[in-house]
Amino acid sequence: MRKLTVPLLVIGLFALLIGLAYYDKIDLYTQSVLMFMGINIIFGSSLNIVNGYMGEFSCGHAGFMAVGAYVSSILSVLFFAQDRVFGAPLLPPQYAIYGFPIIVIIAFIAAALAGLLVALPSFKTRGDYLAIITIAANYIIISTIINIDAIGGPRGFMGMKSVIFAMEDVVYLPWMLIWVYIFTILSIWAIYRFVNSTYGKGIVAIHQDEVAAEIMSVNTNKMKLVAFMFSSGLAGVAGALFAHVLGYINPNSFNILKSTEALVMVYLGGMGSLSGSILAAILFTFLLELLRPLQIIKWVVIPLLLIILMQFRPEGIMGNKELSDIFPRLKKFYQFK
Amino acid sequence: MLLEIKNLKVKYGNIEALHGISFTVDQGEIVTLIGANGAGKTTTLNTITRVPPPEGPKVWEGDILYKGQSILSMEPHEVVQKLKIALAPEGRHIFGNLSVEENLKLATYARTDEAKIQEDYKLVYRLFPRLYERRKQRSESLSGGEQQMLAVGRAIMTGANFLLLDEPSMGLAPLLMYEMFKALKELNQKEGMTILLIEQNAKLALEFAHRGYVLDTGEIVLSGSSQELLNSPEVKKAYLGG
Repeated sequence: MRKLTVPLLVIGLFALLIGLAYYDKIDLYTQSVLMFMGINIIFGSSLNIVNGYMGEFSCGHAGFMAVGAYVSSILSVLFFAQDRVFGAPLLPPQYAIYGFPIIVIIAFIAAALAGLLVALPSFKTRGDYLAIITIAANYIIISTIINIDAIGGPRGFMGMKSVIFAMEDVVYLPWMLIWVYIFTILSIWAIYRFVNSTYGKGIVAIHQDEVAAEIMSVNTNKMKLVAFMFSSGLAGVAGALFAHVLGYINPNSFNILKSTEALVMVYLGGMGSLSGSILAAILFTFLLELLRPLQIIKWVVIPLLLIILMQFRPEGIMGNKELSDIFPRLKKFYQFK
Repeated sequence: MLLEIKNLKVKYGNIEALHGISFTVDQGEIVTLIGANGAGKTTTLNTITRVPPPEGPKVWEGDILYKGQSILSMEPHEVVQKLKIALAPEGRHIFGNLSVEENLKLATYARTDEAKIQEDYKLVYRLFPRLYERRKQRSESLSGGEQQMLAVGRAIMTGANFLLLDEPSMGLAPLLMYEMFKALKELNQKEGMTILLIEQNAKLALEFAHRGYVLDTGEIVLSGSSQELLNSPEVKKAYLGG
């Protein structure tokens, strides 16, 4: 029974959420906030793999999000929507329900490959150098997109909404909400399994002592690559979902400011704490919405909050602990693995 | 010959730390390298385990042969995984915020022989009962001696049959030192573990080892069986205090 508590709870919440959305008990605004929350959870916790668990400093996470967003958008419009540039859809739009998860997985692979391209030259560098390389990569990715006119260049890219409408024509369900939370749950599960496996403990070892990890038979170079690719791939998933929720993407939505949001979530939640990242993503999403009336001043308030946090609790909300470390009683109710 | 070091010259940047040393270690032997601070003992071990630059030394000349094969092109994790040579490094390098158990588990990272792993856990806990008592404790909260035991235990858990020990007696109380060397002796006699030990405490090391080499500022100045070295006037004068 204890083994099933968490999966049952997750499935129950998921069903409740979809049900409420289906019967219009929660309005569209709340739904969109919830969807961005799910995307932020993926976005933040995936960066935590590199910045938290592995202890490196990557700050171009939004670049990989852009790769995922663009790859998935182009594919879904190409296959399932009528478009000015790409013409008639290659497949009947009603297949979009089956096609969409595959497209998200392709976005994962594309972003992971982009991650590989960035990780290879930064192989031997650590700390500050990786930060510089990833910022540069973020800019390169955005400039590349801006300069490809076929996908809209600086004007952005749209048409994904009609793919979602095509899904709703087949079965009327809040599809994007379903997809966002399916992929959020899958991502968190994957990260959890990764960092808690013996294989994944390799990145924790690298964080602590790279030389010691190496003499304990951890292939540190390979491990860094794998972790970086996994992290950037998940950013790609977040990007794919982001693009389809908004229905419109623009290269500048993935600039350094977006990368900073991921960093804020990691450091707010605590480095090396998965539950911390999730908590921080939820808080951060709500905070952004609450401070929306302040408009541009919100970008004064949020960094200020970050400064205050660093002053008084530099390890973040959760430190490197998980929820179950802080409330050991929770363990009574669930057990993983 | 299990391990053969041939005319090894090693540099850190532009500074030559080893000026061409040669020595051998046979299967099942305990060999010790003794020498003062800065003699090049740690450098020798780091070179054998291929700890990479910038922290690690760079081989300038010479070769390291393991079972007749050069290992200079190998990466550190390959040395552990394929050759089964494990290092218990100077300064211990344990993973401080992991528990004792997790530290040991991490050492089995590349192993798949589940049954042997379980035996090795038992072996480590039998050799060092203190580690068993503290297996749930965060390893940075252990005393220095216990951390040293953990470093050695972790080296065993990699499945190695050749241990390189970098000053296992450093910072240990006499009683713990005695426990440590008793465990190592048992490991050598019962498990057939080959051990290359480096020590500043020359008397202790020579009483424990079968053979020894004396290293002085990057050169081997003396070699022989432990008994010969213990009785040699040079060693007596330089390391045993008369």
